[in-house]
Amino acid sequence: MATMQMQRPGLWEVSSRVIVYAAIGAALYGVLGLFSFVLPGTQNVSVRPAFAIVTFFGYSFGPVVGLFTGLVGNAVIDQLTGYGLLTAWNWSIANGLAGLIAGVLGAGALATAGGSKIVGSAVVAAVAVVVGFLFVITDIWVFGNSLETAVTASYVPVVIADVIAGVILTPILVAAWEPLRESLGR
Amino acid sequence: MIVTPRYLARGSWLARRDPRVPLIVGVCAAATVIQVWDARIVLGLLAVALLYYRTAAIPWRAVRRQWFFALAFVSLLVLINTFLTGGEIGGLDPRTFRPLFRIPILGTMIYAETVSYGATQLLRFVTFVAVGFPIAYAIAPADLGVALARLGLPDRFAVGIDLTFRFLPSLAADFQETIDAQRIRGYEWERGGRNPVARLRQATPLIVPLTMRAIVGAEDTIDAMDLRAFGTGRRTWLRELRFDPIDRLVVGLAVGILVVVTVVGFAGYARLWVFPFLLGPTG
Repeated sequence: MATMQMQRPGLWEVSSRVIVYAAIGAALYGVLGLFSFVLPGTQNVSVRPAFAIVTFFGYSFGPVVGLFTGLVGNAVIDQLTGYGLLTAWNWSIANGLAGLIAGVLGAGALATAGGSKIVGSAVVAAVAVVVGFLFVITDIWVFGNSLETAVTASYVPVVIADVIAGVILTPILVAAWEPLRESLGR
Repeated sequence: MIVTPRYLARGSWLARRDPRVPLIVGVCAAATVIQVWDARIVLGLLAVALLYYRTAAIPWRAVRRQWFFALAFVSLLVLINTFLTGGEIGGLDPRTFRPLFRIPILGTMIYAETVSYGATQLLRFVTFVAVGFPIAYAIAPADLGVALARLGLPDRFAVGIDLTFRFLPSLAADFQETIDAQRIRGYEWERGGRNPVARLRQATPLIVPLTMRAIVGAEDTIDAMDLRAFGTGRRTWLRELRFDPIDRLVVGLAVGILVVVTVVGFAGYARLWVFPFLLGPTG
C-alpha cells in the first residue's frame, strides 16, 4: 500500500513559502517603516511602529524569514529614502539579527513564556531587540565613533524605541494571526 | 501613495553601466574608507567619490533633503563624539594629545587630535554617502535581484529581493486603501497624542489588517511558484548581464584603490593626520 509522509518543514529550510513570506515581510517593513514618531522628551529616539513586523515575522515564520525581513526590509527603507542600501549596512544586519533571534526563540520554550503566546511573543521581541542590536556597536569601526557614543547615541536609543514597538505590537499581530493560521491550516 | 525606488539617474553614464558596478564600487568604497584616518588621503578619496557621483547625474533638487539630513545626522554624531565624550580616539594615547581649549560649561578639554579626528570622520562619511546614493538612484529596481544573483547571492535570496521590490507598489496601494477605509470609520492617527503607547496602539488598525491581508494574499504567489517547480533546479534569469570594457575599468579602479589604500594602511601611512594650523596655538 502506498503511503505519504507529511513532514513539518525544518527551522532553516528555505522553501518557496519561506521566500514569499520573507519578501512580504521585507516589503511590509519597507512600506510601513517610512512612518515613525519621536519619543516625547527625547531628541533622537524615533519609534518606528513597523519594527514589530520584523519580530512578528521571525516569531511566526522562523529565523530565515525574520533575518530576511529585518535585513532586506531595513535596506529597502534606506533604498526608498535615497541613502542607498549599503550606506548603513551594519544597521541592516542588526535588524536582521533581531529577526533571526526572534525566529530561533520563537521555536523554543520562550515562545510560550508565561503560558501564552501573547506574553511569549512580547518576551521574545524584547530579547531579540536587546541582543540583535548589539551589532550596532560596530559603528565604532564603520563610522569611527567611540564606544561611549556607539552605546549612548546608537544602541540605547534604538533599543528603547524598538523594545517599545516590539513588545506592544508583536503580541497584537500574533493574536490576530493565530486564529487565521488555524483557519488556513498552516 | 507611490512607494518605489526613485530611478533618478535613468539614462546617465552610471545608469548605463552593468547594475553590478555601483554595488561593487559601494562595497569597495566601504572597505577602503574604513581604513583611512589621514584627512589628506580621505580628501583624495572624496574627490574621486564626487566625480563618480557626478556620473550618475542625480538632480540636486530631488536629493538635497537627503544630503542635508545625512550631513546633519553625521555632524550631530561627530559633535557628540568630539565634545561630549572628550573625543576618545582608539589606538592613540590621550596623554600625547595637544590641548586647544576647554568647553566652558561641560568642562571637556578639546585637543588638536580630537578636532582633526572629528573633521576626518565627517569627510569619511561624505565620501561614503557620495558612493552610496548612486546605489539608490542609478540601479533600475528590476535589475537589483539579478545583479545580486550574479554577484554570488544564492538564487532563492535573490528571488526574494526581487519579489520584495515587486510587492512594494501593491502593498503601498493596500496601505492607502486601509487608511481610507479606517478614516471612513472615524480613524485618526494623531488621536494618540504624545503618549507613545497610545500612538502605537493607534497604529494597530492600520498595521494588523495590512499585514494579515498580505500574508493571506501570499498564498497565490506561493502556489504559482510551486506550480512552476520553483527551487527544483538551477534558476536562469531573463535579463542577462555582461560587463563591457568600461564596466571592467570602473570596477578595476575601485578594487585598485582598495588594494593601494590597504597597503598604505598596513605600512602605517593612513593614521590620523593632525591639521597643522591647529598646532600653532599649542606651540
